[in-house]
Amino acid sequence: MSISTAKQLGLGLCPKCHKVNKMHSAKQCCSRCHSSFHQRKPNSLKLTMAWTVTAIIFLFPANLLPMMVINTLGDRDASTILGGIDYFINDGVYPVAIIVFVASFLIPLAKIAGLILLMMSVKKGSKLTVAQRARLFHFIEFLGPWSMLDVFVVALMVAVVNLGFITSIEAGTGSTYFTLMVIFTMLAAQSFDPRLLWDVPEDEQ
Amino acid sequence: MTENSTELSQLIICPKCDALATKPTLLAGQKAMCGRCQAKLFEHKANSIDRTLAVALAGLVFVIPAMTLPLMGVGMLGLFNQASLVDCIAVLIANDFYVVAICLFLFTIAIPIVRLVTAFYIAYRIKRGRVKPHLLRFFCSYHTLDHWVMLNVFLLGMVVSMYKLLSMSQLTIGFGFSSFVLLLLCSTLVSVTLDQHAIWETLEESREHKYG
Repeated sequence: MSISTAKQLGLGLCPKCHKVNKMHSAKQCCSRCHSSFHQRKPNSLKLTMAWTVTAIIFLFPANLLPMMVINTLGDRDASTILGGIDYFINDGVYPVAIIVFVASFLIPLAKIAGLILLMMSVKKGSKLTVAQRARLFHFIEFLGPWSMLDVFVVALMVAVVNLGFITSIEAGTGSTYFTLMVIFTMLAAQSFDPRLLWDVPEDEQ
Repeated sequence: MTENSTELSQLIICPKCDALATKPTLLAGQKAMCGRCQAKLFEHKANSIDRTLAVALAGLVFVIPAMTLPLMGVGMLGLFNQASLVDCIAVLIANDFYVVAICLFLFTIAIPIVRLVTAFYIAYRIKRGRVKPHLLRFFCSYHTLDHWVMLNVFLLGMVVSMYKLLSMSQLTIGFGFSSFVLLLLCSTLVSVTLDQHAIWETLEESREHKYG
């Protein structure tokens, strides 16, 4: 059964209120909520690319600079993201070590790699079926906020562990870069228009 | 209204893959999925307005305690310190980590509150039958903020921090923590009970009624 798309019939969907609109021009106002929209997000691939590249640049300081600095009796101990995971492994709390490793190291990398793959596939096609790529995008969107985990841990530790000279924790410069990196990957995923994946002839899907 | 727009209102477009379908009539509790990409198109939620009103109000009650009561505290050698969510932000600002502080404020305080207030206000106005066209604009903000609520991530962050602190000191859990869990529960339930599709249609009908 062939499925007709809204684009073929000159219709467009308002991204805010999901109202079906007849497209009169490239950019128009939604007849229900008056927000302006396009049939496809304009410059979707360029914007996604720009945010992804920015995220890749920030990935390096985020992982190389210390996330937090632990002061114990005058001793300063700075740890990066991977260093913090090492701490959990030494303590033997493997489930927590795995959660932190996945959320703050694997997910950002997987998100960036996945977005690059999706962008390439829109330009050049891919071995994966469109349905598989659509699921991949859905997964990337869902993972988005979970990378913020480590930032929240740092924010909590800094405020809670504050016992003067005995022990205190400071945030490290890496946390700022890490926060920005996570936000850039989320913006990249939001700029990508998944409908572009389906805009190919049906036999190629 | 012209014949053309009645036709349009019987169509539905998948937001994820642009497939076009005629809109099915759903019974309460049923949902419509896209035939091509399996994304959810819309859902007919049972008793949506009443439930949203109740859950959003409950959520708003927990906002202040969740923000200001201490989440957890550590003790060591007779010293004790505890911190709330607001303290976390204050300490970050005091240490010049403005970006982290702003993000923490937005994702765990500002955006969840705006969503709860929006859901409550809209549900209240519809319940009372006082629907005004300006609510359309107001409701737009609800959808835009969907991705940026990070209460669940912050809860996992608290659990991870507890594991970190357990090994080095005495750990106490404050009332802020339980309020926060309840706030997260209400905030999630609002997304479950709020029927965006039905609300948009109610708002649209009210405007057609007014402007003819």
